[in-house]
Amino acid sequence: MIKIRDLTRRGFLNIGAAAGASLLLPKSGLISPARAAAPLPAVAEEDAVIAWGYVGPTADEGWTYAHDLGRQAVAAAFPKAKTLFVENVPYSADASRIFRQFAAEGANMIIANSNYGDFIYDVAKRTPDVAFYECDGRNPLDNLGTYYVAHWYPSYIAGVAAGLMSKSGKLGYVASFPVPSVYSGTNAFLMGARTVKPDATLQAIVINSWFDPQAAAQAGTALIDNGADVLFGIMDEAAYLQVAEQRGAKAVMWNTDIRRYGPQAYISSIVVDFSAWYVEQVRRRIAGEWTPTEDILPIGKGVDRDAWGETVPAEAAAQADAIRDKIMGGWSPFEGEIKDAKGNVKVAAGHRMTEVELYNWDWSIEGVTGL
Amino acid sequence: MAYRIQRIPSAPPSVAFAARGMAIVLALVTAGIVLAALGFNPLALGWQVLRTTFGSSYGLEDVGLLVIPLIFTGLAVAVGQKIGAQNIGAEGQFYAGAFAATGVALFVPGPTAVILPLMFVAGAIGGAIWILVPTLARAYADVNELITTLLLNFVATLMVYWVATGPWLDPSGRALATTARLPHEVPEFWGIVHWGLPVAGVVVLLVAALFAFTRWGYEVRIAGSNPQAARYAGMPFRRHLIVVMLLSGAIAGLAGMFEVAGTVHRLQGGISNNFGYLGIMVAVLARSSPIGVLPAAALMAVILNSGIVLQTQGITVSTVLAITGLILFYTAIGDELARYRIVRG
Repeated sequence: MIKIRDLTRRGFLNIGAAAGASLLLPKSGLISPARAAAPLPAVAEEDAVIAWGYVGPTADEGWTYAHDLGRQAVAAAFPKAKTLFVENVPYSADASRIFRQFAAEGANMIIANSNYGDFIYDVAKRTPDVAFYECDGRNPLDNLGTYYVAHWYPSYIAGVAAGLMSKSGKLGYVASFPVPSVYSGTNAFLMGARTVKPDATLQAIVINSWFDPQAAAQAGTALIDNGADVLFGIMDEAAYLQVAEQRGAKAVMWNTDIRRYGPQAYISSIVVDFSAWYVEQVRRRIAGEWTPTEDILPIGKGVDRDAWGETVPAEAAAQADAIRDKIMGGWSPFEGEIKDAKGNVKVAAGHRMTEVELYNWDWSIEGVTGL
Repeated sequence: MAYRIQRIPSAPPSVAFAARGMAIVLALVTAGIVLAALGFNPLALGWQVLRTTFGSSYGLEDVGLLVIPLIFTGLAVAVGQKIGAQNIGAEGQFYAGAFAATGVALFVPGPTAVILPLMFVAGAIGGAIWILVPTLARAYADVNELITTLLLNFVATLMVYWVATGPWLDPSGRALATTARLPHEVPEFWGIVHWGLPVAGVVVLLVAALFAFTRWGYEVRIAGSNPQAARYAGMPFRRHLIVVMLLSGAIAGLAGMFEVAGTVHRLQGGISNNFGYLGIMVAVLARSSPIGVLPAAALMAVILNSGIVLQTQGITVSTVLAITGLILFYTAIGDELARYRIVRG
């Protein structure tokens, strides 16, 4: 079993914080043209305050837990700096209040692990001397950067395994909101499954939350009732894995290794690790080198599939891992022709979708319903 | 010479005020003990809260911004209570008002000076429409408005999620799960605090005057305290009920209008921040007095903003909610106790 901690120890995901920035993906200009902002001035480590606003609770064992491991890595790398965090930051003006409060408490860098849109943008605009990062953000400023993970690749790889393990060819997806990360996740997963089961379909249910175990469990139950035998989703916790376990279905999860909630059902997880990236950004901020970046952490350097579950047949795992090797070697499955759910050609034959197009994917491919 | 405890219909203002003060102090002491038990230093935290809430423009502006929707939703609930109607649906009316105002802002062309008043009217109408069915059901079929207004909250919440992620989704691709930024904004007059604050104050004064100085207000108050007597005296109870409930919904709709037009600038799911439910607490603290809504909303805003400060100090939102609940709990006890006095003989 490959645990993300082991991967880090082996230096597989750990991209060498001490070695500097060069190992990270394209420094800037990835999502929008590079910004020529002057770096924010250096701060002494003992004066540095780095604050995180989390979309969920750190105890979710998922998304926020993974980000909080990153915060702990920062605290370990810069022991004299102060780190702050607030959990369960809502998508309301309260988010702005929390970010403003961080600034009032002297934060030099404020990081949100979700897309807070104008709630962070407006605060960043009014506090130009504070560095901001917004996960999955799309509206950069001279002091507001963006970071995310190229989860579409591991989603595609997991989709291959799911296609091999599904009997009904019906896949289910517990969605948060109809946003690009959900479109890219559902599309990539179904595309992967269709390489081995060409008539596979995917039904999504939107629950309007990233962390709502009860709603996620209900959605998982409804999807299985509708015939789905493999569930995927983008939840910060393990509820639909437990449903799959009880109902004899399979599930692909997100964020961390949570197989203990459903060892029979567990196929894999889209595991994330932000530690090295966070440490590097804080280092740049303290050193007076920080300008906003727009980073999508690539597969193998911040996002990957987890070790396969115990019920995944060896051949399925090998077949999916062969695809993973190809992707790691530079191949992309996201090449035209790709049609949307209405049958229109959205990606022309021969065109390979760029990372930015994948990041901004906002339409469903043929075979996806419910978004 | 024996002493006995006597209940009086209403507490003298000085006693009521003292009971309030004691309730808040006791709640804070209790919260301090709990925080100390959790390993925090309550005095340092208290100082931190006071310093950032009242000692910085950040804190004061945040309170000024928070109080606007609380005044409207608190007033909305208080108005309903004047005639004995429990509007638990301010949350839904908030969303309906925000939805209607957003529709006007996005789809009606024109200068801001024209569109903002239109949004104001649309917000009020949206809120009133959202309470229309519960109002008619209560007035003509005696259906309990507690349930109907509450259930419509969920409908309104989901409706806003749907339009913000579906038909009205920001076409620029630069924002997720929200509408485009509204082309018209309520101007700010102090930091991030916008003109919704003075407008809220004026609406409170108008409503208070309506109840205090008009024949209609007098009849509503009579009808609220004794519907039988009101009917017997020939007052049109049903008509008053309908007007008051629609007014309540309209005021809650204004909360949504100002939140979207002044604070958030986009319609999206979750923006109500529970202001509709918090309005119930504000109305309880204000004892259904329209003027009382102003200090009650201010107190609630300070408490909520203190909650933000406490959260950045590592205290979970659940603890903050528990402290808020404690203050209301003690206040309710204090209010009741203030109506008893010890008399001789």
